[in-house]
Order: sequence, then C-alpha cells, then structure tokens
Amino acid sequence: MMDLFVWLEHTSIANAIRDIRWMYAALETSHYIGLSLLVGGIMLIDLRVLGFARTLPLKSMIGLLPFVWVGFIINALTGGALFIYGATGFGVNHAFWLKMTFMVFAGLNALAFDLSVRRSKVDWVAADLPPAHVKTFATLSFVLWLCVVTTGRWMAYI
Amino acid sequence: MGFFEWLDDSPLSHYVAETLWVYPTLETTHTIGMALLIGSLGLIDLRVLGFKPELPLLETQRLLPLAWLGFTLNAFSGTLLFVSDAVKFSHSYTFGIKIALIILGGINAALLGRSVFRTSAGAASLEPTTGARWIAGTSLVFWFGAIICGRLVAYTP
Repeated sequence: MMDLFVWLEHTSIANAIRDIRWMYAALETSHYIGLSLLVGGIMLIDLRVLGFARTLPLKSMIGLLPFVWVGFIINALTGGALFIYGATGFGVNHAFWLKMTFMVFAGLNALAFDLSVRRSKVDWVAADLPPAHVKTFATLSFVLWLCVVTTGRWMAYI
Repeated sequence: MGFFEWLDDSPLSHYVAETLWVYPTLETTHTIGMALLIGSLGLIDLRVLGFKPELPLLETQRLLPLAWLGFTLNAFSGTLLFVSDAVKFSHSYTFGIKIALIILGGINAALLGRSVFRTSAGAASLEPTTGARWIAGTSLVFWFGAIICGRLVAYTP
C-alpha cells in the first residue's frame, strides 16, 4: 500500500501541484466551495424532509440534488488531486480513513434515499408525507455529512 | 502594547491556541456554519436570480433562520479563532478583505430583505426586480469571495 502512495506522490499530477505556485491553495479553496454546495444543499434537503420550511414544496427541494452533485464532483476531483499530492501523509492518517468510511456510509444512505423516491408505490414526495424510514435516511444523512466535515477538518491535527 | 497584542496575550487567546481540541473544534464549527450560511442564503440568491422558479419566492425567507444560525456560529467561532492569533490576523490583507466582503454581504442581505421580502408581501406572484437580481448576484460574489479569502489567509501576507 505504501508503495502505491509513494508512486502517487511522484506522478505528474503530484509534481504539477508541487511546481505550480498557488495550485495547492486553489485546490483547497475549490474544495471548500464544493463543500458549501454539497453539504449546504444536502442539509437543506434533509431538513426539508424532516419538516423544516414546509411552505417550500418538497419536490422542488429534492430537486436541488443537481447542485449537490456539482459540489460532490468538484470535491471528488479536488480531493483526489490533494490526496495524490500528499498520499504518504493521508494514507496513514486515521482521520482521513474515518472520513472516507463516513463518506461510504453517506453514499449508501443517499442511494437508499434515492431508491425510496424512485421505487415508492405511493407518491409521498408530491403528497409531502415522507415515510418514517425516509426520515431516518434524512437524519442519518445530516449526521453522516457533519461527521465527514468534522473528520476532514481534524485530518490536520491527527 | 497595542490592542491586538493585548488580545494575543489574553487567557482566552492562550486557551484557544493551546488546548488540544479547542482550535480544531472551532475550525470544524466554522466550516459547518459556512455550509449552512452559504447553502441557505445561496439558494435564496439563486431563486431571486430566476433559478428554481417553482419555489415560491416569498417562502424562501423560511430559510433565513438557517442562514442566521450559520452566521451566528461563524461569528462566534471566527471571533475566537481571531483572538487566538490576533496580531497575525490583524496584519493580514487577505483577512481584511474577507471581513470587508462579509460586511458587504451583510448589508446586501439586509437590502435583499427589504426589496424582495418586504415590498412584495401581499403580492405573492410578483417576480423580483432587476435591482433585486443585482443584489442577489453580488451577494453570491461577496460570500464566495469571503470563502476564497478565508482559505487564502493561510497562504498570503
């Protein structure tokens, strides 16, 4: 595994980040902008499913998912590049692996949420009556993404 | 001894800077507050600009409490982070620009409240004026600018 991390740190992507002034700062800044879209959007959807701001139609709030995806893609790309640059450091960082674990669970949870929207026989979205299990997914999503942000931030200190 | 030196030497400053878990916890809070603030205010701005027209314009003000929660979390955590290294932050141009952008963003949000939520009360179908769209557009610039400057404080004089 360590060989892989060492190899990653010597790829042309890693060298480019090292050599181009401001590249690292630009990637980190983009990661924060992506975070705002991703976590900001997801929290709004989760809170709406849980009953916050009921006068905003549930269907349009779930329709914010494309913004969330844009944030996710920005962060997968910038996060991937930051990892390649510092692979040997991140690879042994417990907070980093905890963050990745939370992300996997958050992803599976989002998939379960998405399936509940698509597969449900009753149109609970239009009726604004999310079933109990969907509210559980929304609560889990909120908590899991907070955990992702928290472990991500703690990576610098562990 | 100047004010910022005095602040840097205060027990609170030492506490934040030297207690193992306090600084990262404040940074985490600051990041979560940012997502709350930008997520909710950003959505209002985008709606005023014409995105998601199926969201009732006036009802988007239900999101304002979330924006305020995010702002309060960040004013609190940000102040403590500032106190922990007051001299450094007070000398940083980037930090100065960030604060200026936050003040502009705040004035902007107040203006948006007046031009969208107050004048159109009672006329629910009214779409925002060109002026309101300008306010919403510049709001996005100010807040994303604040994020960018905030991150770059670590890299610039």
